[in-house]
Amino acid sequence: MSYDIKKSVSLYSYQEAFYTGKLDLEGCIREAAKAGATGIELLAEQMVDEFPVITDDFKKQWFEWMEKYGTEPSCMDAFLENHIYDNRTCTLREQVDNMRRDIEIAHALGFKVLRTLVSTPMEVIEGSLPIAEAFDVKIGLEVHSPFSLNSGWSEGYMEMIRRTGTKYFGFIPDFGIFCNKIPTELTNQALKNGAHPECVELVQHAFQNRCQKGFVKIRYDKNLGAANMDYRMANGQGELMEALKKAGGNDADFGYAGASFAYTWNDPQDIIDNIDYIFHTHAKCYHINEDYEETCIPMQQVVDAYKKAGYHGYLSTEWEGGEMVEDASESCIEQVRRHQECMRRCIEG
Amino acid sequence: MLETHMLNPNGYKNSAEGFAFQMRVPYYRGFSLSIIRNIQVCVDGVEYPREDVAITVNGETFTLEEARTVVSNRWVFGRFGEVSVKKEGGLSAGEHDIQVTVTIAPSYMPMQLVKTGHAKFTV
Repeated sequence: MSYDIKKSVSLYSYQEAFYTGKLDLEGCIREAAKAGATGIELLAEQMVDEFPVITDDFKKQWFEWMEKYGTEPSCMDAFLENHIYDNRTCTLREQVDNMRRDIEIAHALGFKVLRTLVSTPMEVIEGSLPIAEAFDVKIGLEVHSPFSLNSGWSEGYMEMIRRTGTKYFGFIPDFGIFCNKIPTELTNQALKNGAHPECVELVQHAFQNRCQKGFVKIRYDKNLGAANMDYRMANGQGELMEALKKAGGNDADFGYAGASFAYTWNDPQDIIDNIDYIFHTHAKCYHINEDYEETCIPMQQVVDAYKKAGYHGYLSTEWEGGEMVEDASESCIEQVRRHQECMRRCIEG
Repeated sequence: MLETHMLNPNGYKNSAEGFAFQMRVPYYRGFSLSIIRNIQVCVDGVEYPREDVAITVNGETFTLEEARTVVSNRWVFGRFGEVSVKKEGGLSAGEHDIQVTVTIAPSYMPMQLVKTGHAKFTV
């Protein structure tokens, strides 16, 4: 099947360089383009200082940058702040208004895709579909580990797609669902924080067991916390914690064990099965070595599934290793460069 | 880790009424002040009462309790705000150890986010 897989960078990857002032927004776009990306993914709430106001000056500047660096907007990441008031949840009308605001911003900046989070209620997504259609911006629900495709959770949304017949809603897989190891830097950080090597081994062994046996998938539930806890228990978190207790585990051991459940391995066949509903992808990554390999995600195998599926769209590098290392303000640039090269090889390979 | 760069090494002030420092929130995007649940300040192991802590963001000053209703003032990602703490007589001259723990409640998270920064500074 024909495919057209393009490379994008989510500027999220450069957050620590931006936070410390090493890169400004233009600097992030420049580095992404230099690394080989033609798509730019933006968290407007992160890097547009005037957010939620998009001034004419900013808009003009944004499109000048796109032209100057040979890039185009790929996806804008939205956050539905529906608990902005401490004493109540925003009403459906307020939440749809918030979606309207973000869709309008995406449209103004030339984005055709708006990423929304798993915490966005179904009725808010449904209520936003006419707005998405009017502005020609597709709403993509991020499939972020431990959520997954071909699951009770995603079936809840498939039902909505079938019922409404919408072409303006689909999924944005995040490669955290394709981890066949615990991220290297997470393990290094745990050891540095005093985790016992024998406990680390127990946690890794349990993760490998889950990969081999197959993860029990998460169900659809409006109560995300409850769904997440049930997913963890169904995948053996209770037994693992018990084993660590017996082995004399400390806080670092328990922290590492808990964190390990944030990563999952799913069969890349999930991409092929759901390709009709996938129009953008977060190529999440944690650590790319000097040989251009993501050390916990089998990139070639995953990208091959995208090829087989006939994917037309972006794979957008989203480096998240920064929170596992002391200082990422410099290394984020190199990690993104390596990941773009890794993807180029996988796409062309 | 954003926590590493949380406290401004050049942002400390001291006066007869108390002390102040500059921090940016180690969370990856800007947000309305209403989602701040707490900023806990410890200097040399002494924790200051919550009601004695105030923040100044975009030129507006709020106590932590007041901040709970502030939805139209955004703390921009990576931007320093000032935290002031009441302390009669201010801090003594010399080196001090500060630990700041900020708790925020982003809507999409089932739990609150708690981040701590640590530094030494001289008065």
